[in-house]
Amino acid sequence: MVLEVTAKDAEGKELYKSDKTWFEIGVDLDRDMRYGAWQIKEIIDLTLPPLETQRETYLIHFDTDTEEVELEVKLWYYISGGKGDVVYSVVRKLEFDN
Amino acid sequence: MRYAATRMLLLVLAVTALAWGQSATAREAETIDELVAMFDDSKCAECHAEIYQEWKSSWHAQAVTSSLKGMRNFIAVGLAKEWKTKLNKAEVLKCLDCHAPAVNFASEKLATEIGGLIVTAFDKKDSAEGKKARKELARLNVGCLSCHNIKATTVARGLNGPAKQGVIYGPGGADAGDAHPTMETVDMTRSAFCMQCHGRYNAPDGETIQCNTLSGSYQNAYISRGGSKSCQDCHMKKGHLFPGGHDLETVREGLGFNVEITPYQHLPGKIKGVKDPKKWVPSAVVTAFIENKTGHRVPDG
Repeated sequence: MVLEVTAKDAEGKELYKSDKTWFEIGVDLDRDMRYGAWQIKEIIDLTLPPLETQRETYLIHFDTDTEEVELEVKLWYYISGGKGDVVYSVVRKLEFDN
Repeated sequence: MRYAATRMLLLVLAVTALAWGQSATAREAETIDELVAMFDDSKCAECHAEIYQEWKSSWHAQAVTSSLKGMRNFIAVGLAKEWKTKLNKAEVLKCLDCHAPAVNFASEKLATEIGGLIVTAFDKKDSAEGKKARKELARLNVGCLSCHNIKATTVARGLNGPAKQGVIYGPGGADAGDAHPTMETVDMTRSAFCMQCHGRYNAPDGETIQCNTLSGSYQNAYISRGGSKSCQDCHMKKGHLFPGGHDLETVREGLGFNVEITPYQHLPGKIKGVKDPKKWVPSAVVTAFIENKTGHRVPDG
């Protein structure tokens, strides 16, 4: 699961991008990362626990001549490998007086 | 007269039982045809058409073909290269006890052949041989009788004993007339039933196989924090389709999302690298709140 924050100017040029990923790392008994179900004996848990709300905060500065910004915050869910779906998306336009 | 009718009914039930799933049978299938016939799900569709169609569209119905890569790797890499262990029924069942429980009733030879088909179907997927192997494997899955017979009594085996041959286990235990003997069981409504496979799998020889960790986080992070729902409460909302991470609607239902955005102008001269250090700096604070409303960690393999 990935939270993605993107800011673009009026022309669509990317000004800012950041993301946070929730996932688990399977490791064998030597603590080497593994993918095989038969190899994984423990996990390192970087997931979102049940019944928990996590907060992610981003402080973003734009250049001094920036007048308009489109901010998009997306939550992606990847079922396997590269196949992801956008679960939620919030878009907001910001205007600045220079 | 009444005695004769009762005898007739018992005879019908006995014959029906023989025709249905053979979970407690000593006989082992020598071919996939025989194995499929022993646990023939298509008979269920005759009376339970809607449920059958839900199941047909579920991931349970393609539990082997959708997981070929992982199972192939276990056989071709894990067994062959890492463990240097011969492919046999006990090893194949480390995957198929869950992905196709009927294989418990395959002969040693057939189970080993099925393991070979898994490797062929994946390694030669574009060839006629690979396609043929996949087609055969598509007949194996988590079928109706996998849950309603083979695995029905497993979580409380000491109390319930093995599943009885030909009996259909269900939470309702409704009288099915001549169709099949039915036995009411509460087991299938409990999370422990799903956790047989949807969590760390413990093989009879002690090996642990970790396809996912759902049962762990359900027990140790959900129930322990006061959660009270069962797996079935959420994952049977669409009946026997059992939607989960593959279903966007279910994923959306399980996650809360709220975003707060606060634009402001940062003090001049405080941010390095801007074009004009004497000007106010356009800025924003973005805060996202992500809530896990499910009964397990997200994501979970």
